[in-house]
Amino acid sequence: MDFKTLLEEKGPVLLDGAMGTMLQGKGMPLGVVPETMNLLHPEWIREIHRAYIQAGARIVYANTFGANPYKTGNCGYSLEELVSAGVALAKEAAGDRALAALDLGPLGQLLEPTGTLSFEDAYEAFAREVRAGAAAGADLVVIETMTDLAETRAALLAAKENSDLPVLCTMTFEENGRTFTGCSVASMALTLTGLGADAIGINCSLGPRELLPLARELARWTRLPLVMKPNAGLPEPGTSRYDVTPEEFAGEMAELARLGVKFLGGCCGTTPAYIAALKEAVAGIHIERPLEPVPPAVCSATRAVTLDRVRVIGERINPTGKKRFKEALKNGELDYILAQGLEQAAAGADILDVNVGLPEVDEKETMVRVVKALQGVVELPLQLDSSSPEVLEAALRVCHGKAIVNSVNGNDETLERVLPLVKKYGAAVVGLTLDHRGILKTAEERAGIARKILAAALSHGIPREDVYIDCLTLTASAEQDSVMETLKAVRAVREELGCPAVLGVSNISFGLPGREIINPAFLTLALGAGLTLPILNPNSPGMMGAVRAWNLLSGADRDSREFVACYGGAPKTVPASSCPAMELDYAVEHGLRTEAAALCKGLLERMAPMELVDQKLIPPLDRAGAAFEKGEIFLPQLIQCAGAAQAAFEVIKAALPAESAGVSKGKIVLATVQGDIHDIGKNIVKILLENYGYTVLDLGKDVPPRRVADAVRESGAPLVGLSALMTTTLGSMEATIALLREEKLPCRVMVGGAVLTPDYAQKIGADWYARDAKESVDIAKGVFGEP
Amino acid sequence: MAVMDLDRVPIDEVLRYLGAGGKDPGPLLPLAEDCARELLAAARPRWTWRGFGCEIAPEGVRLDCGFLLPGKDLADHLSGCREAVLLAATLSPGVDALLRRTQLSDLSRSLVLESCAAAAIEEVCDRAEAAIGERYPGRGFTSRFSPGYGDLPVTIQGEFLALLDAPRKLGLCATASSILTPRKSVTAVLGVREPGAKAAPKAKSCGSCSLRGSCAYRRRGITCGRE
Repeated sequence: MDFKTLLEEKGPVLLDGAMGTMLQGKGMPLGVVPETMNLLHPEWIREIHRAYIQAGARIVYANTFGANPYKTGNCGYSLEELVSAGVALAKEAAGDRALAALDLGPLGQLLEPTGTLSFEDAYEAFAREVRAGAAAGADLVVIETMTDLAETRAALLAAKENSDLPVLCTMTFEENGRTFTGCSVASMALTLTGLGADAIGINCSLGPRELLPLARELARWTRLPLVMKPNAGLPEPGTSRYDVTPEEFAGEMAELARLGVKFLGGCCGTTPAYIAALKEAVAGIHIERPLEPVPPAVCSATRAVTLDRVRVIGERINPTGKKRFKEALKNGELDYILAQGLEQAAAGADILDVNVGLPEVDEKETMVRVVKALQGVVELPLQLDSSSPEVLEAALRVCHGKAIVNSVNGNDETLERVLPLVKKYGAAVVGLTLDHRGILKTAEERAGIARKILAAALSHGIPREDVYIDCLTLTASAEQDSVMETLKAVRAVREELGCPAVLGVSNISFGLPGREIINPAFLTLALGAGLTLPILNPNSPGMMGAVRAWNLLSGADRDSREFVACYGGAPKTVPASSCPAMELDYAVEHGLRTEAAALCKGLLERMAPMELVDQKLIPPLDRAGAAFEKGEIFLPQLIQCAGAAQAAFEVIKAALPAESAGVSKGKIVLATVQGDIHDIGKNIVKILLENYGYTVLDLGKDVPPRRVADAVRESGAPLVGLSALMTTTLGSMEATIALLREEKLPCRVMVGGAVLTPDYAQKIGADWYARDAKESVDIAKGVFGEP
Repeated sequence: MAVMDLDRVPIDEVLRYLGAGGKDPGPLLPLAEDCARELLAAARPRWTWRGFGCEIAPEGVRLDCGFLLPGKDLADHLSGCREAVLLAATLSPGVDALLRRTQLSDLSRSLVLESCAAAAIEEVCDRAEAAIGERYPGRGFTSRFSPGYGDLPVTIQGEFLALLDAPRKLGLCATASSILTPRKSVTAVLGVREPGAKAAPKAKSCGSCSLRGSCAYRRRGITCGRE
């Protein structure tokens, strides 16, 4: 018997019930590592497996749920010992009556960005479990009780890359259809189906009755066989008992079988009696599922975006032609890049294009960092944009959803190199209608390349709805006749091939005046021709206006609700530039960011940047600082002033020529030390230091000592600021200072954070203890020789 | 495990965390109220608890499952108690995401949101405590004592959570540095008073606080307690 045979059977396949509930019943004490029972009480495990097989289970889950380095580190046995013993017991009990599954549960620590465990470390932990389980002869791998899509992906990739075993993958949802981390049923289904799971579903969570609507939802989003392993109802408060009897459980599970769920079992609170009752209740049911097509869509872990209407891809995370963005990339200013993402999301983008290619930066490393960080702050699916297959693969690996790969073209080598990655990671792909001959003139020629790309994608197993064709916008100023050809090609792609069409819109007006007139006009024409995915600047009111008008006119925006919500309100307040009476220092002192930026722009026309900083920005900040010290204003107001000054600084930076030395008074490296994730204090210090004209190299939080030392060496910064908020991370602070000293880096160190004291700061070798952000500015002034 | 329908954040507490307690908050008040609304929309508070018999031993408080809560300070705090409640509560990862976003877009607002979150998780614990109290009629609890207070090591967070099955029930875990994640979470021990035992004053004492050397309140000559 193997997994394939089970799949081909007409009836449902029964799984086992709870292991933990049974072990507690056998007398396992609270607080021990359950997997150690594989070695301490193998007879218990054997008996439990046998009882489930006797009751009708065809797949038993080995007692390896928590056998990972994070949960079993101090138990006295190695992960490999626990897994081998667990799988061997399951196999022994299964004989030829059932299959033995290696069971992978959550690692017990949260992954970044909420936790500190990296995706790569999570992958490695699961890979060790999979290698041990496969070596012990497991028949399949089950991944269960997951709540984080990133962790689930790490486990699934580890299973697929370290064994040839089939993988069943289930996550745990609350009644609102979300996991604890906010993952939706649709996102889970789109992502895990794409990544190559053999069956997916839901376990633990709730009772079978509560799972019914979630099972229906899941069935919409995947054609894979479904798995349901719910609890024995809901827990009774204050006890560890559950409220559904075996008979009720079985009756409700039979409903799920009739819905077409292939794999049925039990989780917490279920026993062999539940599985036996289940077997009786589903006897004779044939698993039939009407397989409707899955709606074309991409997703992040929390949001699925269907392509049943026009969806905007935001183009702003891209250095092409953007001086400030290039500078941010070179300096590793992650916050600037993330803010571009947030701004586009707020402006109405549905998907974000991410391009960080610049000759001076390590594109692969930067791409991975940006993709990881963006997912922590925006919910939008990502379009990974690079010409390097290596960068694309690195980005696909850490993108926890269904991404779009931008792009392939009609060249055979690109297709052969990139399409396997698209398939492996379950992404969608943009196909540019060009090849070694360049961009072809006529619509028919471009449609020809589109056909070739589609055929190649289909042959790699990528579904048609995941191939997005870009018919290429040529500039009207240089190639006027090709404008209508592009539109014709869009129409052909939509009507003939049935693929979604994607188009970078703004290129149409390159080199012409009045671009804001041409772009929306072309966009509207392209939407009329069937464009699904315009790539544009969502911060442009004209472009978003054209999209919203199209949605209204085409009927996608039912009853004009979205349009009215957007444009029906009171007129926007008058921008500050039209209030000539306001002065920059007033705007800063009152925390008015938009106004500060606008006024600064005006002043730059008649003042030198450094003069402006010293005369117009610093004095109001000093006044705000003094008011704060006196208790006249509170910290949020002080930071509001700092925010307004920073907005003015951004204007100054953007106006400076690229090669100029800028307005910097010196460089300072800031980091929240390794293991610590409390970074708001560090961020307050950062904004104040920037306000006073220092360039801050912000390394972020949870920063290893090595990265701090490298940053100091590369930048030559004479001052380093370190923060820690926990007694448990003060050791990292000490280690960081020790490394800086050991490498004889000519820098001085200031430290701060709630648990620090001046004495302790001195003890760990810091030069200064900074009580608050204001004091860190005073220290910086001293280091950089200011009065 | 229970999901709590939290409908308000105590604004007085928020203002106090921001240093405006007892003063005219001025424009901070509408900002705090607005942030409180946003926080409540992002939060999905969950909590769980478990009651244990306990014994005050020289090395700390030993629970009847065998688990030791080490140190003298908790033992003093629970003196006379023969039962203890372990409580874990979290505002959920949605709040972490909101704070990450707001730190990027508006640092000032994120400070106010941080204070709202701190006030909200205390409110969740207060309500959880009241709900647990119904299971101990006529008894009453000591004030909450968390890992990291006094000499109760913060490094027991992982085992503390495991005892309550909090990773599975609440999605609440500890990092390798024993930081609770999601960030706006609390673990605490409550001593259950023996029937007829006199309630000690509820206020926490600075003497048992591990932050006493560096506390921002104490520097300003005030305390964080809720007198």
